[in-house]
Amino acid sequence: MMPLSMASRGETVRVASIRAGWGFQRRLADMGLTPGTQITIVNCQRPGPVVLGLRGSRLVLGHGVAHKIMVTEV
Amino acid sequence: MAKNITVALAGNPNSGKTTVFNNLTGARQHVGNWPGVTVEKKEGGFGHRGYNINVVDLPGVYSLTAYSPDEVVARNFILKEEPDVVVDIVDASNLERNLYLAVQLLELGAKVIIALNMMDVAESRKYKINVKELSRLMGMPVVPMVASHNKGTEDLRGTIVDVVEGKVPADGAYLEYGKDVEGEISRLEGVIASSPLARRYSPRWLAIKLLERDEEIVGMVKEGAHV
Repeated sequence: MMPLSMASRGETVRVASIRAGWGFQRRLADMGLTPGTQITIVNCQRPGPVVLGLRGSRLVLGHGVAHKIMVTEV
Repeated sequence: MAKNITVALAGNPNSGKTTVFNNLTGARQHVGNWPGVTVEKKEGGFGHRGYNINVVDLPGVYSLTAYSPDEVVARNFILKEEPDVVVDIVDASNLERNLYLAVQLLELGAKVIIALNMMDVAESRKYKINVKELSRLMGMPVVPMVASHNKGTEDLRGTIVDVVEGKVPADGAYLEYGKDVEGEISRLEGVIASSPLARRYSPRWLAIKLLERDEEIVGMVKEGAHV
């Protein structure tokens, strides 16, 4: 298990847990990011946001947020 | 005299709400502002089958929690202005994420039509959507559209009037949360039912929002308790 911010471009991972308060967890869930979701990392170059592919759409997060999402390799 | 109907357009960001809005209203639109909140609202109108239909384009949201000002604006419009119909513009190529909002609208107690937009994109991705079955499961009409090519606009106009006239049911399916949560919901519902809030809002919806620890609703219930 590792933070999403450590994953590399092109990698596919699965969300294991989200280390944040319920309000933020809820916000991510609203956008389809829930534990168990499979994610492909489209881009994670610094500086710049983390671009993810999930559930057939794209989601853009900051590195700080990505650091709170724990993932496992698929 | 023609009857007036208010229709709210809701949907995820980038699902084509404004395109649908422009298709429905043509060139007769004007831009307005919400008092106090820096979120833009567009209003326009058209006539159909003897009705004056006023269309309100709401900000794009993923859900109806009280997370951001645009969500609060969208939710309060539906709760307080009580539009006759809410059209939820759904990106057909991204059904799973988009239907989450449809469920939230349904729980609010609104009459909802799903405008299944971007059918061409869904088809190019080889998705096959069973529109009839989707409509049956959700308990609301589903209108397939390609808003960018102005396809489905007439169907949507007709469906709006059909819903207002009660020819098509649009109250939505009943969503169950399982034994544990349902137990809590009905316990809270029982308490809420005797409060004045229950006259304005559905006790079930209030109970669900309390369990979600929705700040706005928790505040409203606390205030109500003092009345």
